[in-house]
Amino acid sequence: MTNDGRPTLRCEGLSKSFDGTHALQNVRLEFPSAGIVAIIGPNGAGKTTLLNVLTGFLRADGGRFFLGERELTRLPPHKISRLGIARTFQDLRLISQVPVLENVLLARPNQKGERLLPALLRYGVAREEARNHEEAMRWLWFVGLDEKAHEAAGELSYGQQKLLALACCLAAEGRILLLDEPVAGVHPEMISQILDNLRQLREQGRLVVFIEHDIAAVRQVADTVVVMDEGRVIAQGKPNEVLEKPEIIEAYVG
Amino acid sequence: MDYAAHILILTAIYVSLAISLDLLAGRMGILSIAHAGFYGLGAYTAALLVIRCGAPFMIGVVAGMGVAALISLVVSLPSLRLHDDYFVIATFGFQMILFSIFTNWMDLTNGPMGIPGIPQPVILGWRVDTHLEFLMLAAIFATASCLVVWRITTSPLGRVLHAIREDEVFAKSLGKNTLRFKVTVFAVSAALAAMAGSLYAHYITYIDPTSFTVMESILVISMVIIGGAGSLWGPLVGAVVLVTLPEALRFVGLPSSVAANLRQIIYGSLLVVMMMFRPRGLVGNCGFSK
Amino acid sequence: MTTQIATNILNTAALYLLIAVGFGLIYGTVRFFNFAHASVYTVSAYVAYAAANLIGGSVLFNGVLGVLSGTLLGGLTEVVVYRPLRRIGASSVVLLITSLGILLVLQNALSLLFGDDTKSLQSVASAGHVVDFLGSRITPVQVVLLGSAVGASVLLAVGLRLTRLGTVLRAVANDSSLAQSVGIDVDGAVLASFLIGSALAGIGGVLWAYNTALNPQMGFTALLMGVVAAVIGGVGSVSGAIAGAIFVAVTQQIGMWFFPSEWQDVIVFPILLLFLLVRPQGFFGKPLKKATI
Repeated sequence: MTNDGRPTLRCEGLSKSFDGTHALQNVRLEFPSAGIVAIIGPNGAGKTTLLNVLTGFLRADGGRFFLGERELTRLPPHKISRLGIARTFQDLRLISQVPVLENVLLARPNQKGERLLPALLRYGVAREEARNHEEAMRWLWFVGLDEKAHEAAGELSYGQQKLLALACCLAAEGRILLLDEPVAGVHPEMISQILDNLRQLREQGRLVVFIEHDIAAVRQVADTVVVMDEGRVIAQGKPNEVLEKPEIIEAYVG
Repeated sequence: MDYAAHILILTAIYVSLAISLDLLAGRMGILSIAHAGFYGLGAYTAALLVIRCGAPFMIGVVAGMGVAALISLVVSLPSLRLHDDYFVIATFGFQMILFSIFTNWMDLTNGPMGIPGIPQPVILGWRVDTHLEFLMLAAIFATASCLVVWRITTSPLGRVLHAIREDEVFAKSLGKNTLRFKVTVFAVSAALAAMAGSLYAHYITYIDPTSFTVMESILVISMVIIGGAGSLWGPLVGAVVLVTLPEALRFVGLPSSVAANLRQIIYGSLLVVMMMFRPRGLVGNCGFSK
Repeated sequence: MTTQIATNILNTAALYLLIAVGFGLIYGTVRFFNFAHASVYTVSAYVAYAAANLIGGSVLFNGVLGVLSGTLLGGLTEVVVYRPLRRIGASSVVLLITSLGILLVLQNALSLLFGDDTKSLQSVASAGHVVDFLGSRITPVQVVLLGSAVGASVLLAVGLRLTRLGTVLRAVANDSSLAQSVGIDVDGAVLASFLIGSALAGIGGVLWAYNTALNPQMGFTALLMGVVAAVIGGVGSVSGAIAGAIFVAVTQQIGMWFFPSEWQDVIVFPILLLFLLVRPQGFFGKPLKKATI
């Protein structure tokens, strides 16, 4: 876990209510610039809501969040993504009818070929595609899906799809990865592969923040654990400290 | 022979209209009721520039495309960032008021009396004055439309458009400014419709508001859907079928006004039946079957 | 003079209100833009016209026949077309396209049967007995139009709150899959909304035909204005529909002071765009949310 002068993600006073339910109440967090942080808590604690606010998909009612000095509070999701904050979804979003490789290619940022004139005139687009193809395959190889590159994304197993989502985040050049339940519902064998990938990402100097219910997984990889309940952060710290606290065990069966 | 050329020319014009609408409706899944309005904008811009300002044919065409693309922003920017139904309402309203403007702005458009005497196209000295020559011109324009749509859909831009259609949230999470893509595609589709409109104006040599109504927009939608949305062949087949079918009805001996209504009744029924039993259309692949 | 203007505004607003409320009720339960609503409006008017010319019935008879036809038509479209499509999971775009198909068929059937020219449905009730009301002239048809619009709105607002059907309709509009899972007959609720909504459109169509004239395109303008009124007022709210209808009618009237009367429809469009830019939920409604998270 390092704080090396690179811009860090932090939020203060974040609040969000839906129809009277307080999903987030005055959440204040400061993330390291690299490492693995796990966010745990019972259902309805506000974990996914927090993720949605931090990635611009939900507008907070109050509070602000920053990447370094830059305030992100009012930014739309695509702008936050381009700042290097990538995310996955609890209900696994992918383009299922197209090949795995296409999904990853989609994630590549700053594509000239996505603009109208280059798309029509194709000046330099082929070269850019070839470069992106290489990058995409590299990330597919990293998550172990390179052999499935040309299969339809919908044909993959659940765990493989989660790996694909991770590959997309990396292809999008996400330095900060916010993952919503990356191992939930996944076959145990796949889980260790996913966790391995997360460790490698930490070594690469990225920040991985993930929401999980699987406490074993959390113990295995997390440097820090943040516990939420009823929209508040009720504890944070090293896993073996936080997870032993009686009130945590009580509020949330480990 | 002239009759066959006439049918083919009309088909070519409708192919341009259908394929440009499909770019928006089929590839992006956004339905516009204003396509005939942009068709009309292209026709009127070209006709007015050529007759009132003596502009050359191609200038009229390009100006029409520019006007349509620019005006499309007025409709798309407020409504595309909202729920799709707001866009439907906006394009419906836009179509209705365009018709109103064509009909009521007498000084500019001559209202219901229309604009007669649109001259034949002249391109770099080539005077297009026979049916066969016009057919060549129409075929070139139709091919150009198909080429534009094909290039877009087979490029990385097309990849994003498809993604936006399938899962817009996912596309946004990957850094895509989905509003900008939608607005761009709407402008391209409007420009291509306008291009077809200027061609139509020079072909029939007379235009009036009744060619650019809501019903005309719905007709083009029918071509796209019946042929098969979201493919290159679909709108093509749809245009061919829906332009040539009424000619077949003529041979049955029906008076032309009855034939006109009857053919639209057939198209409407086909739309309903297709949506219920074959949403991918005649030759499409997936259409709207989600 | 000013009361005449006020009466004119109220007449137009009454029509828009009938469309806005009826369309809004249906939209609430099925969540797609039902273009066939324009045809229900037009068919009702033409049935009344046919009855007047073929059977020579009284205004009341023709009117009721027209409204019943429209109601039946609306119900049929739901049962025969939309419901089976919903069963197979058709998206709202598919349903919209289907409604366009129905519109095509009905519009052209009317053109075929009656021709494209504008028809007149004047009668004693519309032209003869002109009543003088506070300095303005108002015909019996206009009184009925105003009365129906107000009455329908009040009945609907009250009914939605207090009757069992009303509660069911609101539940389905709020969340139809949730409603289904607690045992609510969603199909029945949808049918009810179609019948009521179509009846309102039918009343509007018949009365407007008696008030002005008929032509096959009348449904488009009425639908557009009614929908714009619903958006400006706030989709899904009866008070919103009232506010929106009056707002649109007033805007048109003000517009007529600056522009010739044929531009009155065009004036409404920039207002719609303005609302979409600044306040898409209208005065009292909730905005239609894009599917996000």
